[in-house]
Amino acid sequence: MTQNTQKNRCFLELRNIHKRFGGVHALRGVDLSLEAGEVYHLLGENGCGKSTVIKIMAGAHPPSEGQIVLDGEVFNELTPIQSLDFGIETVYQDLSLIPNLSVMENVALGEQLVEGHGRLLRRIDRARMQKTATKALSQVGLDVTPELMSTIVSELPLATRQLVAIARAIACEARLVIMDEPTTSLTRREVENLIDVVSRLRSQNVAVLFVTHKLEECYRIGGHAIVFRDGQCVAQGPIESYSRADLAELMTGRQISEKRYREGSPSEDTLMSLSNFSMPGRFNDVGFDLRKGEVLGITGLSDSGRNELALAIAGIRPAASGTISINDKNIRIATASDSIDAGIAYVPEDRLSEGLFLSKSIYQNEVALILRKLAGFMGILDMKKGKEIAREISADMRLNTADIELPVSSLSGGNQQRVLIGRWLSINPEILVLHGPTVGVDVGSKDAIYQTIQKMAEDGMGLIIVSDDLPELLQNCDRILVMNAGEVVSDLNGASASEDDIYQAMLGSVQEGAA
Amino acid sequence: MSSAGTSNKPAPGHVSASGQLQQRRGLGDLIAKKPEMVTLGLLIAICIAVAIANPAFLQPSTLIDIGRASVVTGLFALGVFVILAAGGIDVSFTAIAALTMYSITLLAINHAPNMPIYVVFLIAVAGGIALGVLNGFLVYTLRVPSLIVTIGTQYLFRGGLLAFVGTTWIMELPGQMGTFGRISLLEFETANGATVSLPVYFLILPAAAILTWWIMRRTLMGRAIFSLGGSPDVTARLGYNVKIVHLFVFGYAGALAGLAGIVHVTANRLANPFDLVGTEIAVIAAVVLGGARITGGTGSVIGTMLGVLLVVVVDNVLVMVGIPSTWQRVFVGAFILLAAAFFVTRQRKFKPAK
Repeated sequence: MTQNTQKNRCFLELRNIHKRFGGVHALRGVDLSLEAGEVYHLLGENGCGKSTVIKIMAGAHPPSEGQIVLDGEVFNELTPIQSLDFGIETVYQDLSLIPNLSVMENVALGEQLVEGHGRLLRRIDRARMQKTATKALSQVGLDVTPELMSTIVSELPLATRQLVAIARAIACEARLVIMDEPTTSLTRREVENLIDVVSRLRSQNVAVLFVTHKLEECYRIGGHAIVFRDGQCVAQGPIESYSRADLAELMTGRQISEKRYREGSPSEDTLMSLSNFSMPGRFNDVGFDLRKGEVLGITGLSDSGRNELALAIAGIRPAASGTISINDKNIRIATASDSIDAGIAYVPEDRLSEGLFLSKSIYQNEVALILRKLAGFMGILDMKKGKEIAREISADMRLNTADIELPVSSLSGGNQQRVLIGRWLSINPEILVLHGPTVGVDVGSKDAIYQTIQKMAEDGMGLIIVSDDLPELLQNCDRILVMNAGEVVSDLNGASASEDDIYQAMLGSVQEGAA
Repeated sequence: MSSAGTSNKPAPGHVSASGQLQQRRGLGDLIAKKPEMVTLGLLIAICIAVAIANPAFLQPSTLIDIGRASVVTGLFALGVFVILAAGGIDVSFTAIAALTMYSITLLAINHAPNMPIYVVFLIAVAGGIALGVLNGFLVYTLRVPSLIVTIGTQYLFRGGLLAFVGTTWIMELPGQMGTFGRISLLEFETANGATVSLPVYFLILPAAAILTWWIMRRTLMGRAIFSLGGSPDVTARLGYNVKIVHLFVFGYAGALAGLAGIVHVTANRLANPFDLVGTEIAVIAAVVLGGARITGGTGSVIGTMLGVLLVVVVDNVLVMVGIPSTWQRVFVGAFILLAAAFFVTRQRKFKPAK
């Protein structure tokens, strides 16, 4: 414990950092300085450059322009090992654990790698590795047993993996710990523990940089806010001096974030009714009604069963038991085409791998579901009609290009998502299940997607949005179902609920279960 | 399936959950953690079956035959294991062995007939490393899957050997190489009066196995190799020099291939440029039978050695129970499918819920 009596001084400084990925200008001249023993909260919407700036500090990406100053030493770029050598430790959003190594190795191997400055032909000091890992793991509140130490990381539950990733970051003598959304799958108690860890780091004169969407946590921890928007740092200062509305406005650059898109209200007619829907170990006894013109939100932690429920409705991984009826007719969903035939359209979460043919044109993607309708004599496709339909869909979805021959890969994330939704509209579904509709989508596209959602609801479609983007649900839904450990634990009114209410429901009974 | 589902159910933060998880699984868990146990079981089962069918199997000479026949395949297999662990694959090692063994034999005959045997081995290892490092360099810089790269270099090395070095059999080995193959470590008299001997070169295999085990388990390089096989992006992000790891694994496999080539020549007292190439699939099969996943990041030296033994035993002893040699492939094929199906189902159960 090096007690630095000297006044806080600048540990890391970024000077005019730019980063381009191909044609995308992800960072546009970022200036930033971090001091030892301070806590920072890096805030901003998805795609604003937060992750990129972290990766530059960690040495994972070289900047395209600009300088990095560490302890007064100037660098044009860092390698991962240099960055670690200076004591910059990162808890990545994807955790970046090595799945096939043990917990102990994941936590404590880095120490010996950094000491040898990356030299690999060295013997591992196992006793020391064990000591380092034990200390770090118990600091994050894990019960350190020999089984835990030797468990292969891929066999751990997500929350434990997150704690292991945090333990790795504090295992060495860090000087800056960067945490990219470290609390997403943690329970309240674990979050409290993390806050203790942060204050301990702070007292050891370590700087901490948080990246998070959870504003309550930022206010609780305190420190400085750094707000990013479109690859630039737009504000920096003590977090107490900003209200939540201030921060939201700074992040989005406009005051749309609190606006509620949902204006209409559902009709009285029940469109779809689900009861006793179960899949052992995933979700249990789920039942709800969806009315015509209703927008229903479903949320929960990533392992709450919400994803599996969506896949079951879509017939991709059918439920083991339960009944589903549409317009009072019982139907059976065993495959994806059963669900399409029943009028249910499903837009997957991962549009790149599950939904779109990236190298194919917008036109080919949009008509992919109606090929049978376009087929004429001997199965020859009526291309002219197809293109007409594709043009209509593109216009409906307000794509930013009129050229339907462009490959989908040339579009932005938001526009790709619109192509995907548009494709499903071509079969006029009665029910549309949207899974994470705006993941990785820019603000402008979000706006367009939300407006489309509302228009579809007005036309009488029933929509289900499965998402963990809480503002999105609050802005768009009539009702929000919250899932926890496979069950629907709460049914909230979208117009009156708050983010806090949803969080409570998401985490609440997990807390009970753990206690 | 349901047991895996419920034990994956989150009791977040409570890692005692993972302790229960281990207890509950018992045998299945052991097999998932130590897949080489399946290989061992299979090996023992075959040996028992053969011994019952033909008691002549149970004599020291069988062991010696198997030991002798394992050396070349075993050395190759250790190299393949290291590359598989790093998430790559190599099919050029037989061509590396053929090229080095033939070139060195020629070199010894034409230029240095009195070169001591250890120099022969050193040159073979150096040649193997050079060719292996070329593989690693190409895989790393071209970012092309190693299968493609090594298919290319296999053709290149073998084509180069046949086009530029020579195509004729060399029956008259230089003295030191010829004698080395005949020095024996142990000698036995069999029931029918013939002598069988375990040659000294057999020791190369256990030595290489122990060295490989030490590198993989006890050095940072070993952990870096497994990391690379588990997640290449993360490995680079954590500060490991991924380029060095690539050069090392392919260089190491090349060194073992060079060794194997010389052993092959001295054991057969013949340098045939058409030998070895074509056996790579059997070697890769042995490693996979030993529990290494073809997708990388797993495996063990013990497993690899058991896999080699399994393949060698099937190759050598089925004849003793009257199964024609043409059937050996059917057996090896069946074992591979059996083991693969087994390992894959275990893995599926272990895949964490996302």
